[in-house]
Amino acid sequence: MTDLNIILKHSPSVVTRKTGNEYVLVPIADNIADMDSVFTLNETGAFIWELIDGKKNIGNIVKALTKEYETDEATAEKDILEFIGTMHKYLLIGSRE
Amino acid sequence: MQNLNLNIAGYRICFLSAEKGPDLIPSERFRRNICSTCESDVQVTVHNGLIKLPGTALRVFHAPFVEEINGVQLRHKANFWSIWKYRKDLYILTVFPLMDTEKNAVLKFSPDNKNWDLWIEGSNKEIDPFEYPLDGLILYYLTVMHGDIMIHASGVNHSGFGYIFSGVSGKGKSTMASLWEEKGAKVIHDDRLIIRKKKNGYMMYNTPVYNNDTPAESVLNRIFIIEHGPENRITPLRGALAISMIMSNCIQHNWDHDIVEGLLESVTDMCNSIPVAKLSFKPDKRVITLIIKDEQR
Repeated sequence: MTDLNIILKHSPSVVTRKTGNEYVLVPIADNIADMDSVFTLNETGAFIWELIDGKKNIGNIVKALTKEYETDEATAEKDILEFIGTMHKYLLIGSRE
Repeated sequence: MQNLNLNIAGYRICFLSAEKGPDLIPSERFRRNICSTCESDVQVTVHNGLIKLPGTALRVFHAPFVEEINGVQLRHKANFWSIWKYRKDLYILTVFPLMDTEKNAVLKFSPDNKNWDLWIEGSNKEIDPFEYPLDGLILYYLTVMHGDIMIHASGVNHSGFGYIFSGVSGKGKSTMASLWEEKGAKVIHDDRLIIRKKKNGYMMYNTPVYNNDTPAESVLNRIFIIEHGPENRITPLRGALAISMIMSNCIQHNWDHDIVEGLLESVTDMCNSIPVAKLSFKPDKRVITLIIKDEQR
């Protein structure tokens, strides 16, 4: 079970650009083989991304998503944990020490 | 010759032999790009021998030597070329694997400075200073300096209308170029293009890849991200998805924030003025008809 008290932050090794309500994420790489990954975030993903600020914990983000999208906390938590899992997998976010 | 001036994609590159440096002899690939211009975007002084990098220089990026033969990738060397950084200077260390005798070379440069230096070992007589892979690397960093885009794509001009078809290896770039050539279009290139923003819009340029390449350019009106599919279908792409799909096909060295931010800005800017679509296609001329009809709609 993921601890909802964990505070997340963006990786310093990713370059972002907001376009409309979406984001493009490009990871920094040190070799040519790792450069085929460019990520996009839709409006909901962009909303979560902007809440990841090195200050809010996962619980805070769940509450904010619940309020913004008028969904229940269980659904919001499931969606956010899935999002965080993907972001972690590609080293786009980390947790604050 | 002591001076070699090339014009590629509108970039004027002047190679100058240093004192006791080699004669500069371009390979067949670049003969059609020789020009007589004195003003240059970059001047590269060519020296015989090699230099040692500063001890604290940091390797920031590297690439293996991978050769593709009939769609099969063969990995020959783990350390082919690499980029090193020391203070404001960058260094490219590379070998020239396609020469009869493999040679090492070091290029010292900075995107902020138009005077670069190139050392090539064993070049006491004559040398092509633009030997593979240095040609593509120098051109790439010229695109970085100018905010331009280097992309895996074929490009054609049909009736004054410029299309590019972008995709990595195996997606159908050459196939698409051949289909358009049969239709009477001018093929700008079938593999790699440089895109530059000019006063009147975007232009695409070829770069010498094959010995028979002649300099070619065209306006750019539409971009397709291509893939083979069961039917011909055009799906417009917008926003972050269009930008990310183009970014994925760009030639890029993503070791530096500023370089990535610059390319993201250039690609975003281009997507705001050039329509982008995904094109799924079967390799026959009906896809050409579809694109032309879609354009007239």
